[in-house]
Formats: sequence, C-alpha cells, structure tokens
Amino acid sequence: MNEATQDFSDEEFARARAGEAAALASLIRAHQRSVYSLALRMLGARDLAEDLTQDVIMQLNGNLISIASNTHLVFWLRRVTTHRAIDQLRRRARVETTPLDDEASHSSTVDSGDPLLQRHLQRLLWDLSPPARAVLLLRYQEDLDPIDIAKTLDMPINTVKSHLKRSLETLRQRMPSSEPSRCEGKST
Amino acid sequence: MSEDLESRLRAALRPVAPGDEFTQKLIARVAADRRSPSKAPSARGRSPKPTTWWLSASMAASLLVAAGIQHQVQERRERERGLEARREVIEALRVTSQKLELAYEAIKSQSSSPADDASGV
Repeated sequence: MNEATQDFSDEEFARARAGEAAALASLIRAHQRSVYSLALRMLGARDLAEDLTQDVIMQLNGNLISIASNTHLVFWLRRVTTHRAIDQLRRRARVETTPLDDEASHSSTVDSGDPLLQRHLQRLLWDLSPPARAVLLLRYQEDLDPIDIAKTLDMPINTVKSHLKRSLETLRQRMPSSEPSRCEGKST
Repeated sequence: MSEDLESRLRAALRPVAPGDEFTQKLIARVAADRRSPSKAPSARGRSPKPTTWWLSASMAASLLVAAGIQHQVQERRERERGLEARREVIEALRVTSQKLELAYEAIKSQSSSPADDASGV
C-alpha cells in the first residue's frame, strides 16, 4: 500500500464508500496490489493469494461503511490480510506448499533487479514462522515502523522487535553476498 | 551491512500486482455484490443490534438473579443442616449424660450394698 494507495484520495474514498462504482473500482485497483503481495508472500502460492485477496476485498465491501478514512482502510486491509493469512497457515500447518519460485516471475510489474536474488530471498522468507514473516513483510514491503506493525498484528512491540532482529540475523547469515555475480552463482 | 540487507529486502519485497484478468473479475464481483438485493438486509442489519443488546443484557441479568437466589437457598439449607447437626449433638450429649448418671447410680448402689450385708450377718 505504498505509492498506489497514497494516490487514492480521501475524496475518492468517500465516493467509494457512498457506493459509486467507478470510485469503488479505483479503490480496488489502488489497494489490491498490497493485499495480493502480502497474501502471496505469506501463503506462497498464487491461487491461494488470489483467493485470500478476493475474500479480503469482499469482506471490505461488506464493511466499507464502518471504515472512516483512507488511512483507516489501509490499516484495516493490512490487518485483515495478515491475520487471515496467519490463520490459514496455522490451519494447514504441516501441508506442503510450493515456495514462491514461480510466483516471483509471474507478475510483469515486479521490478526488483536481480530475479535470482529475489527468488532466494523469498525462499528464505518462506522458512520464517508466519508471524515473523508477517512482521518482516509489514516492515520491508509496507514500510511500517515497529509500533504500527505491533498495532496491525496485535503483538507486543518487544515481540515485533525481537522478530525483526532474529529474522534479519537469519537472513544475514543465509543471504549471498551483495555482489551480483556471487548472488547469481549461489541462489539457484 | 545491515542497511545493505535492508535495502535489498525492500527491493525484493516490492508489491506485485495480480493479473489484470483477476482484477477485472474482482471488480465485477464486488459490483455484483453491491447490486444484489441480499446486500440490503446486511446493510440494514444494524437496526436489530440494540434489540440484541437488550436481549443479551436482560438474559445476563436474569442469570445473575437466578444465580443469586440459588446461592441464598443453598446457604439457608446449609445453615439449617448445621442447626440440625447441633441439635443432634446436644441430644446425644444429653442421652450420654443420662446413661452415665444411671451407671454412676448403679455403681454407687452396688458399692454400698456389700457393707450393709456384712453388718447384717
């Protein structure tokens, strides 16, 4: 919910809330990227991410009247998406899922430089526990500070900080060097 | 090193968009959901809420009153049971005391009779 959501004004939000079809469509376009990305990186499979995105947006459609502003909407979407993804992962805790190998290359809108590095990072991300993964995604995908992450996930601030510290430590140990040539060599 | 890792994470975790087809379907589904008449009751579904609240509150109050009454009845029963036990103990003590009195009298009469016999012979 970065640039795209900031472009969505409070005025447009009010029109979407009032039920104006065009405004509602642009609300979905503005916010689905973030919802879908959180879902995809949390669940690790495109079909699951699409299902979750659809469920969250449909739930939003039913609750739009109770949402006060665009800022509230962004908070609500992140909160609902991460909580539902964590619940889903807990339910199918031991079911084998495909890591994000195919997913990273799926979208034409990904512009992250080295695709091999991205693939490797996403595989490392998949090894983290669901709450730790959610914390990391909210920090580095959504650019939230630890206080906002704690609010979004209903988690004590110290837990957020320790998740971040441990996850970064794990990633640092397992990430290839920042030099592109060495990354490519190791990350296949 | 840390900043490097963080910037690499930010780059790798840029939001990705779902396919256009998915977006179009989603928008159409939301629009259809808005138009559907089954949406109306859920939008108006807020009006029964006060009734539900009052119903819940009155049920909770009734439960509290019932629990209070039951507690009082139980307390009274226990008090009565205690008084009954006390009465029984007093009765038992009274009977025991009577028996002891009788035994004492019997012993006393037995101990005095051989002396009378001896003096009589």
